[in-house]
Amino acid sequence: MSNSLDAYLILSALLFAIGTFGFLARRNAISMLMSIELMLNGVNLAIVAFGAFIPNLAQDGSVIALMVMAVAAAEATVGLSIVIAIYRNRKTPLVDEYDAMRR
Amino acid sequence: MNLLIAVIPILPLAGFAITAVIGRRLGKQAHLIPVGLIVLTWVISMIVAFSSLTGGGPFEVTLYDWIPAGAFNVEAGFYVDNLTAALLIVVTTIGMLVHVYSIGYMGHDPGYWRFFAYLNLFMFSMLLLVLANSWLVVFVAWELVGLCSYLLIGFWYTRRSAALAAKKAFIVNRVGDVGFALGIMAIFANTLSLGEPTLNIRESIEMLTNAATAGEPLVIPIQIVALLVFAGAMGKSAQFPLHVWLPDAMEGPTPVSALIHAATMVNAGVYLVARANNLFAAAPSAMVVVAAIGIFTAILAASIAMTQTDIKRVLAYSTLSQLGYMFAALGVGAFTAAIFHLMTHGFFKGLLFLDSGSVIHAVHDEQDMRRMGGLSRKIPITYATMLIGAVAISGIPPLAGFFSKDEILGEAFKLGFPWVWAIGIVVAVMTAFYMFRLIGLTFWGESRVDPAVEPRIHESPPVMTWPLILLAIPSVALGLVLGLPLGNGILQSWLAPVFEEGVHALETARNIQPEAYSILGVDGALIVASVAAAAIGLVVAWRFFGVEIGARLRRAPDPEAVRSVSARAPFLYRASLNKWWFDDLYDLLFIRIGGWIAAAAWWFDREVVDGTVNAIGAVTRQTGRGLSHVQTGRVQNYALGIAIGLIVMAGSYLVIVGR
Amino acid sequence: MPRGLLTVIASMFVVGTAIGLPVLLFLLGLLKTPEDVLFFVFAEVLLVSALLVVTMRDIIRCGLAMIVCFGALAGIYVIAGAPLVAAAQVLVYIGAISVLILFAIMLTQTKAAPSSLVFQTQAVGAALAAILLAIIVVITVGATGWGAVDQRIHTATDELATLLFNDYVLPFEVVSVLLLAAVIGGVFLAKREEGGPS
Repeated sequence: MSNSLDAYLILSALLFAIGTFGFLARRNAISMLMSIELMLNGVNLAIVAFGAFIPNLAQDGSVIALMVMAVAAAEATVGLSIVIAIYRNRKTPLVDEYDAMRR
Repeated sequence: MNLLIAVIPILPLAGFAITAVIGRRLGKQAHLIPVGLIVLTWVISMIVAFSSLTGGGPFEVTLYDWIPAGAFNVEAGFYVDNLTAALLIVVTTIGMLVHVYSIGYMGHDPGYWRFFAYLNLFMFSMLLLVLANSWLVVFVAWELVGLCSYLLIGFWYTRRSAALAAKKAFIVNRVGDVGFALGIMAIFANTLSLGEPTLNIRESIEMLTNAATAGEPLVIPIQIVALLVFAGAMGKSAQFPLHVWLPDAMEGPTPVSALIHAATMVNAGVYLVARANNLFAAAPSAMVVVAAIGIFTAILAASIAMTQTDIKRVLAYSTLSQLGYMFAALGVGAFTAAIFHLMTHGFFKGLLFLDSGSVIHAVHDEQDMRRMGGLSRKIPITYATMLIGAVAISGIPPLAGFFSKDEILGEAFKLGFPWVWAIGIVVAVMTAFYMFRLIGLTFWGESRVDPAVEPRIHESPPVMTWPLILLAIPSVALGLVLGLPLGNGILQSWLAPVFEEGVHALETARNIQPEAYSILGVDGALIVASVAAAAIGLVVAWRFFGVEIGARLRRAPDPEAVRSVSARAPFLYRASLNKWWFDDLYDLLFIRIGGWIAAAAWWFDREVVDGTVNAIGAVTRQTGRGLSHVQTGRVQNYALGIAIGLIVMAGSYLVIVGR
Repeated sequence: MPRGLLTVIASMFVVGTAIGLPVLLFLLGLLKTPEDVLFFVFAEVLLVSALLVVTMRDIIRCGLAMIVCFGALAGIYVIAGAPLVAAAQVLVYIGAISVLILFAIMLTQTKAAPSSLVFQTQAVGAALAAILLAIIVVITVGATGWGAVDQRIHTATDELATLLFNDYVLPFEVVSVLLLAAVIGGVFLAKREEGGPS
């Protein structure tokens, strides 16, 4: 199984799906960000898997994965700062109470 | 000559415009310009009329192309032939005399300048109508005349009854106008189908009659066209069933009644049918309808006039009755007789109306004859002229009415309409009766005038009596001038070229040969019959209401006899008094039932039509409100939407491409 | 039964399954090589911990589950022949991002947090969407011919370094600028307002 690309990709898909569920279903803003990290990791896995099995992409896969990781780190930083700033304003980390743009 | 013809209607129009603008400032002098212009119009009309009658005509003047539309062209122009000349004489003479009379009658009225402005506008409209050479111009003038009648009947607009009467006149007129407009459209449709669309009166009638006699099928049959045109005439000349506006129109000042309802406007209908005589001659069945309606109106109106107590109402119903005579004449084919009666009637009815105005003026605005009486001694000039008018209208020779009425009745009999003749004789009896009833109640016997008013009774000023005298002259003489020699008078020779085609067409259609006038034969008998009828009416009236002519013809009135007679025929008496309940019928039909229909329509409009429109709005609003629940303001909800969209797109792509 | 006993039995059950399943599959012949078994074990841990991240009530525990998840993922990277990525995964994700998240959790905790609902009202729809998404991707993956080789390609670190600093040096530098911007932005956004409540 470790030698079949499909397994890695299916695993990546499942991880991404779990991340999507968490993003859409959790109330806490930080939980949403954790779910985003899961999604990004799922994608990273897929990239590395391609790098492992497709000859043309051998090293490129890893490089791209590293870039994604760096960007994910940056995004996590900024996202968390925003959540903290909103928390200071709204006194709650629960996203269903951030509805000032409601009709 | 063309210039003179064009000027005729323009002068009164200018008079109206000037008086409307600066009349208020002129105050008591406001009559100078309009009356002056009317006198000038009269002079020019006389010149034009006589030049036509002495063989100069017919003239046709085209002012300009009003509606150029490719092959179809409507010109604004005038046409003067002997028929027009006859009408011009009547309209301008009586119009001028009414203008002069109004100077005295309306002297104390605050709306003095407005009155003359409207009078001038009315003269313009009527002259335009008479002179027009195109159906469309006639229609415009027709409507203008209706407008002027509205303005003048409702002149004292602060009076509710006057305002209502003016509305009634206009609306009833409009009903007829619908028919007329449809008739014009029918004429246009027919000329269009025949290849040359035109609305010139002579050309279009010629095309239609040629097609009808040649047997070509017309888009709209010629009988229908004729009846539609007659519908317009019915409205304007107040024939049954559109007669209800004329009596109420007495709400207007008396000079208005004289001008519009005796001398000019109501004659527009007669003129229309006479002008279109070829058209009617080609549709004999329509002519029978015209005759029937005419003579029926005559007897209906005469029956009502016999019991009315308001002096102007009697004269109004009398007008209706005489108009009925004219249409009966047109219907049987005696066109010249109709025009003859139009002319004589214009003069003596105008005289009678102005006289009544003088009487009313004398007794200080009392119009009820039961409160008059014995005025013959107090207002002699008015009395004398009114007596002349009454004799004229009763058809007693040798005054004007005899000649024209006898010609109508004689022609009716000879052209094969004995029933028209018979009813006409009855009407003649009734006419003489109610006219002398009027004279008896007003001028003879004991004075029943309100004692407070009695000392102040005075004759009218000269500015009012001179028109009376001037109108009395043609009432006496016109018959002799135009009607002799009997059977082929001057008027006959004048109007023969206008009517010859129509008369000829009728003769061929009915297979009647024109006979020579035989004073000792049929015609003589008919003359005796009509004089006898008038005499009977006269004597009966004298029996009931008294007579005081000269020293020897004296009889006191007999109110007891009057009461007993009317008691013996209660239904007829009540019917006559209530105008045969036509007003009530129309009120029920149109006001009440029409009101219900209108309410139902309003309900429909409110609930269904507006409801539908509002429903669309409501649906939109509710949908929007429902959809707005999507806007929760929460990011996660929106993200779910994105996810769903993504799944749908990817999934459908998978499914579609996967196959 | 007392609660503690229940927990012990449940955990034993879980661990037993976790270990037993790969053994079973190895014996059945689906997992041929030891790497296969290892891969399977790591995959198990990954998925279970990911599910725990998204379903647990207490956020701190979610964070810890996330760390476990990242760890398992690093293992899978190693098996896939990308050791540098695995190392970076551990360093960056577990060492930096997870710590950051835990700090943020501690800074935004409210007293009411533990007792409120975990899931939104749209959780059902979200689950459905996630499942459908997974199905679509799996089907697509299965239906596509990737042109894959049979054996994993191992990426040597020095080859990777050469590539990174020669061909991809621009993205490398840009990413470093991006990180700088993120740091500055993060500091600015999260700093305390002047005189405002902390």
